[in-house]
Amino acid sequence: MKKMRMARVSQLLFLFIFFALFVSTEYRGSDTVPAAINSFFRSDPLVLATYLAAARSFTWLLFPALLMLLFTALLGRFFCGWICPLGTILDLVTGRIRKSGPIQLLKGNFKYWLLLPLLFAALFRVNLAGLLDPLAILVRGLTFFLYPLIGDTARQGWVGVYRLIGARRDHIAPAYNLLHDYLLPFRETFYPLAFLSALMLGGIIFLERYERRNWCRNICPLGTLLGLLSRFSIFSRVPATLCDDCAKCKSACPSTFREGVQLKEECLLCLECVDWCRQRKAHFVLEPPRREGRPFLPERRVLIGGALSGFLLAGAFRFRSPEANARMLRPPGVKDEDEFLDKCVRCGECMKVCLKGALYPSVLHGGVGGIFTPMMIPRLGYCEYNCTLCGQVCPTAAIPSLPVEEKRRAVIGKASFDKNVCLPFAKKTNCIVCEEHCPMPKKAIQAETVRTTDLNGKPVELKQPYVVDDLCNGCGICENVCPLEGKAGIEVLAVHDKTPLKVAAGEAQQQEWADPYQ
Amino acid sequence: MKRRAFLKFAGLAALFHRFFVRDLFAAQGPVVAVATNRDHAAATRSAIAALGGMKRFVKKGDVVVVKPNIGWDRSPEQAANTNPTVVKTVVQEALAAGAKKVKVFDRPCNDERRCYVNSGIKAALAGMKNVELKFMEVERYRKVTLNGKALPEWDLYDEALDANVFINVPVAKNHGLTRVTAGLKNVMGVMGRNRGSIHRKIDESLADVNRVLKSHLVVVDATRILTDNGPQGGNLADVKILNKVLASTDIVAIDAYATTLFGLKPEDIAVTVAAHRRGLGEIDLKKVRLMQV
Ligand code: SF4
Ligand code: SF4
Repeated sequence: MKKMRMARVSQLLFLFIFFALFVSTEYRGSDTVPAAINSFFRSDPLVLATYLAAARSFTWLLFPALLMLLFTALLGRFFCGWICPLGTILDLVTGRIRKSGPIQLLKGNFKYWLLLPLLFAALFRVNLAGLLDPLAILVRGLTFFLYPLIGDTARQGWVGVYRLIGARRDHIAPAYNLLHDYLLPFRETFYPLAFLSALMLGGIIFLERYERRNWCRNICPLGTLLGLLSRFSIFSRVPATLCDDCAKCKSACPSTFREGVQLKEECLLCLECVDWCRQRKAHFVLEPPRREGRPFLPERRVLIGGALSGFLLAGAFRFRSPEANARMLRPPGVKDEDEFLDKCVRCGECMKVCLKGALYPSVLHGGVGGIFTPMMIPRLGYCEYNCTLCGQVCPTAAIPSLPVEEKRRAVIGKASFDKNVCLPFAKKTNCIVCEEHCPMPKKAIQAETVRTTDLNGKPVELKQPYVVDDLCNGCGICENVCPLEGKAGIEVLAVHDKTPLKVAAGEAQQQEWADPYQ
Repeated sequence: MKRRAFLKFAGLAALFHRFFVRDLFAAQGPVVAVATNRDHAAATRSAIAALGGMKRFVKKGDVVVVKPNIGWDRSPEQAANTNPTVVKTVVQEALAAGAKKVKVFDRPCNDERRCYVNSGIKAALAGMKNVELKFMEVERYRKVTLNGKALPEWDLYDEALDANVFINVPVAKNHGLTRVTAGLKNVMGVMGRNRGSIHRKIDESLADVNRVLKSHLVVVDATRILTDNGPQGGNLADVKILNKVLASTDIVAIDAYATTLFGLKPEDIAVTVAAHRRGLGEIDLKKVRLMQV
């Protein structure tokens, strides 16, 4: 057996870490998730670059990405060959896929035509990096498509066992529970854009038909960005060119030798060539960067074109329909829509962790530019009063990580009744399930008792609910539990002014109480 | 089943021990035991003991369901869920009486994982042998014909239906619609489907369900009660500490008594009135024997 290369060991290790973090992005009995959970995104220089450009500020959350930048500038694209989980997956499957030769369209400057508009658009305050970031594509593909699918299949099987043997299923319940507690999603949420997410991930794998690491060589904006930096690296392959008598390493290399020269911006540092070189000539050395006598960017027109298309892109995405926007509810703590769009990576972490399945990727509610950003759909799930998980996992603090007392007062929207359908108004029957569920200690939904006659003319006493705006944080549980079918009798609508609720007298006192029952 | 067997036994015994049986059950109507003690485990135990002890309900080898209120993501002192100590003690008593297995569950209104953890009930039951604190699963609801006044049929939870003994362990608290809730409303936790819709006719609906799913024993946690902004509260200013645990086999009587803890009359609560009218128990506290222990 061939001995495993160091790079492969590292790849597998990081892939494992990646999956472990993915699976633990879930409420598992503790109010906090490990801080490490979003570390991949926080070490992602593409996320950093577009954040800096769009938000024009820095956050220490992204410090690891800064380090990654630094090391890349020193060593080269080691991230791609040693760490990137998407790259690893490609390496693992590519052996099974027959190649038919590179796609010419993707050659040349294609990748710069992607990266530069992306960066410039960010500069014009439309941060779309997450759309094409490899980590985001991977996490979204898993979160929106694969994981729910796996969860649902397991669940169906488990239900099937019940239909088959009934309560005797309890004998094997411990085994299933173990799986369910540690590996499977607690509840399988189905997402819009699942298909698109799957398609993007699948597409990248499909591209392996043409050449190895097709995505990494020719498309990936993160890889391209890292490549730009690695031109300065002091870690280089010698000989830089292929030997005349043998070009074995060229076929082993998952990257490109352009005209026989191994370019630093392409090299993934996987060191396969070192292994393959029969004459033991190929190796890597530390040396000051060579002057290659070529421009930093392949062509000036790419730069100008990139800037221009970035600008146009930024403008093209500004349309938002007011109707749809009224239902654009952002996760708790998000105050300003534009600032949010500047910072959100569209990584899907918040939607993965949301324990009530309240958050979904936006399709068009926030305009085309908001695609894949999280929004709350109260009819499907609500924001749990004491939960703060989405803020904890967001790698850029686009959703701020708030202490629970602050999160409870953070305004997502405001509820209002639709008296055309709400039962006590429209049908003159009692209900107030919404009031019952309102988590506000002082109840943002209150009810007045009215005496009236019902539809048969009989006198009835009804509780008619109304919303107290000053107490409502728009958590959406009312809309979620409204027993009407389809449309609810109460709906949370987006509001511009998201000033947090005031601390109620009773709540302040609450924290001083010791728990007498523990 | 077990309960019927017991009554049969009681009936037989009546032939021989007329005085004893009449004393305990016939003459004075239903019994509600009211235990007051700062030690809530002790209160729970003495309330059950006053009814004749857990052995009266649980026989060796029984599968027992203990159904607390774990409805909300609230901490124990907020009085929205059943006191974990009371739950734990009921479970211990059932085990001591010979239960083969005790299952504890509820269908919470908030995220079930958070409710089980933050109610303190998960921690209270941790590590107990033959005790299962479980999440309810959709496929286990069974359509049951109720032939009720409001509900012709409904989905009820199989483990609750199949248990040998069903012990109802609610917390007494305020409720926006029904004003006070205790035992009768607590059975909503084994109802499937869109149960919010029964709010339209909540009194008759609850009577319908309680008529079919009988609580063999009701233990009401009134160690602290939520007096306003129920059923989930959240404000400690609304919590009153009473250190009381009630127990009874008569779900209407115990709910009626619990109502008085809020300064209300049993007749004020439509749910209790409906249940009484439907023959589920005694609402007139003058006809109920209160045992203060
Ligand atoms: S939206 Fe609410 S419930 Fe969902 S993760 Fe965020 S804080 Fe938790
Ligand atoms: S808001 Fe959600 S999708 Fe956007 S960056 Fe944060 S965690 Fe990722």
